[in-house]
Amino acid sequence: MSHVVEVVPEPGEAPAAPETRRTPRPTGTWTLRARGLRTVVELELRQRVRSARWRVALGAWFVVCGLVTWLTFRASAQLVGPDYVRYADYDTDEAFGSNLNLTMHVPRGPLIFGLIVFFVLLAGFLVAPTLSAGSINGDREAGTLATLQVTLLSPAEIAVGKLLAGWAAAVAFLVVALPFVIVSLAAGGVRVVSLAVTLVLLVVLLGVVCAIGLGFSALVSRTTASALLTYLTVLALTVGTVILFGLTFPLITQTDEVPTYESSAVDPGIVYQTDENGDTVEVDPTTGLQVTDDDDAASSDSSCTWTTEATSRSHTERTWWLLAANPFVVVADAAPAAPAAARFGVPDPLGEIRDGVREVREGPADREDWCGDGTVAGTTGSTAPVWPWGLGVNLLLGAGAVWLTVRRLRIPQGTLPRGTRVA
Amino acid sequence: MSRADASPPAPPAPLPARPRPPGDAASDGIVAVGVRRSFGSVRAVDSITFTARPGRVTALVGPNGAGKTTLLLMLAGLLVPDAGTLRVAGHDPVTESAGARARTGWMPDTFGTWDSLTAREVLTTVGAAYFLEADQARERADELLRTVHLEDLADAPARVLSRGQKQRLGLARALVHDPQVLLLDEPASGLDPRSRVDLRVLLRRLASEGRTVLVSSHVLTELDELADDAVFVSHGRTVRESTLASATGERRTWRLRALDPVVLGAWLEDTGVTFRRAADAVPGEPDHSAASDDGSVQVELDDDESAAGLVRAAVLAGVPLVSVAPANGALEQVYLSLEEERR
Repeated sequence: MSHVVEVVPEPGEAPAAPETRRTPRPTGTWTLRARGLRTVVELELRQRVRSARWRVALGAWFVVCGLVTWLTFRASAQLVGPDYVRYADYDTDEAFGSNLNLTMHVPRGPLIFGLIVFFVLLAGFLVAPTLSAGSINGDREAGTLATLQVTLLSPAEIAVGKLLAGWAAAVAFLVVALPFVIVSLAAGGVRVVSLAVTLVLLVVLLGVVCAIGLGFSALVSRTTASALLTYLTVLALTVGTVILFGLTFPLITQTDEVPTYESSAVDPGIVYQTDENGDTVEVDPTTGLQVTDDDDAASSDSSCTWTTEATSRSHTERTWWLLAANPFVVVADAAPAAPAAARFGVPDPLGEIRDGVREVREGPADREDWCGDGTVAGTTGSTAPVWPWGLGVNLLLGAGAVWLTVRRLRIPQGTLPRGTRVA
Repeated sequence: MSRADASPPAPPAPLPARPRPPGDAASDGIVAVGVRRSFGSVRAVDSITFTARPGRVTALVGPNGAGKTTLLLMLAGLLVPDAGTLRVAGHDPVTESAGARARTGWMPDTFGTWDSLTAREVLTTVGAAYFLEADQARERADELLRTVHLEDLADAPARVLSRGQKQRLGLARALVHDPQVLLLDEPASGLDPRSRVDLRVLLRRLASEGRTVLVSSHVLTELDELADDAVFVSHGRTVRESTLASATGERRTWRLRALDPVVLGAWLEDTGVTFRRAADAVPGEPDHSAASDDGSVQVELDDDESAAGLVRAAVLAGVPLVSVAPANGALEQVYLSLEEERR
């Protein structure tokens, strides 16, 4: 008995009734009206705001964020240097007697920013499920869901309204943490645009987690179960993807016949000789000529040849999406990178993840060039961003959860989820 | 007792008078035909067929687990019947869900309230959920708070309300959108006597305004004074549908009490009426008088007419009668007779 009930919008809305009756606008499952949404959001937020727990939680959150920021500043000072300035600890020319000219400005900003952003994301992911994972089954348990369902609110309005309210609460946590994220800008090296992009992504990703919590709360009857499932999903996204990526390495590692452009050292080898000046020079044994050691393309070409070599390589281009789906990767990859020159030597966790994941996406090159200037040709050093894919995956998850919730809220219900009561 | 309960009984605030021509059950009432609903292997509602007409209060009577609540859930548009057809205020709650919901006020048997909201906010929120304009919803909330005598507690959070007060708030909530059909599941449970009277007066007035009121309960005495019609359900089936007027025309038990029980007993024996003393009530049968032997006797009489005849004869014969009354309420009588049939 699984009735699939489509709530059909009424065709001709009762002008038959003689009395002047409010004619309800035709509503379907997916009807979304601003007023309907506002009603649900207001109802949810009102209840949240009035609980004392809520204020305590925000207060504790502020303190924790402050503590973490302070610790991050301390730790980064240990790691990078006492101030914004690190002195190079070598002197090339003692005549100058001073290392003033060798002072390097190493901003701690990217490090602090990255750590704080990741902390806020992590903590947000821990908080968000508690804000949404009880919103449907909790109401059902409290006996307040059915009385809302029988009103003229559509299932979509109830679902999206609850999502927006939970999301707003999660964003409130983000707002409280905001001062500390901004403080990291003061440490230098982080551009405001990075901050803006990162914040937008944090907001979106928190919304996704809220949506997942909402979906589970509509799916299972117990609030503890839905919270647990939401946490497991978050864990799978943040840690599971990385572990899976690691575990699949043997599967994607294979021995390839790779065209390789190598210096001829492979066959005759280069013979080192001492010339008349007493310097060591490289000499091609077949020609007896000296191989110049400069980066001149012509000269390298002359000493390098193409061969096919069996090489064991990991084709991460087949599994990069595992990493891309990771919310932390999404955030790291999306933050606009500082110009390469400004990044040299600066510890930047977000930047390193960004470079790493983009490299992983590229996979090993078709051809390898070990000759010449030493750069590996073929790896074009692609900078194609990975985050749109990851964000897409996350958004799809969230949208799926909302879709499921709306379906679960449709009335009249055919089959009841196991263990649930209607009212 | 709370403040609101203790407040002097005020005349119920009138709802806006809404004179309307008496409609018929098909367009303004409830029509259920062969409704069935199972939960897994449990058949909660097997076959229920009944009509509740506008302008009347219909009692839905049956023992616990008879399927009353499931039936009301289907009427409220929350559950799909497995079979059968439903029409509520002229709309099918399955295919024209929104239309039916707009015209149906439902008060579940157990429900929660948004505990942190005040009574007023609960009602304005429900008003907003029915897409009333904000000021309209506020006005309506005030009006309903007066109707259910919660104006003193209007701005107290709903969590401080007592069970009875919550019940009244639940009733007000069901009325926010001025529904044509009212579905009330055990509305009187938890109400104090004063509130029960208020409820009765309110429901009677709602019915007199042309609304269809369906009240489920297993407390039969309270329905007796309230209902016009009764639908008896048992084991998920309609076992009987009748008006209370016709129920009073039934064979039922009457209780007679005279100043001198001996005289009464002797006279009854002479006239050949079988009777039994309250003192030796049949075990297993509810008998309200059994507790105290006041010398009353019970007789089975065919209808009101034969009761009148018996009284006349007794008075003429000089029996010092003090009271003559049906031993049970009309509903209770029918209910008990149905129970007997079932055995």
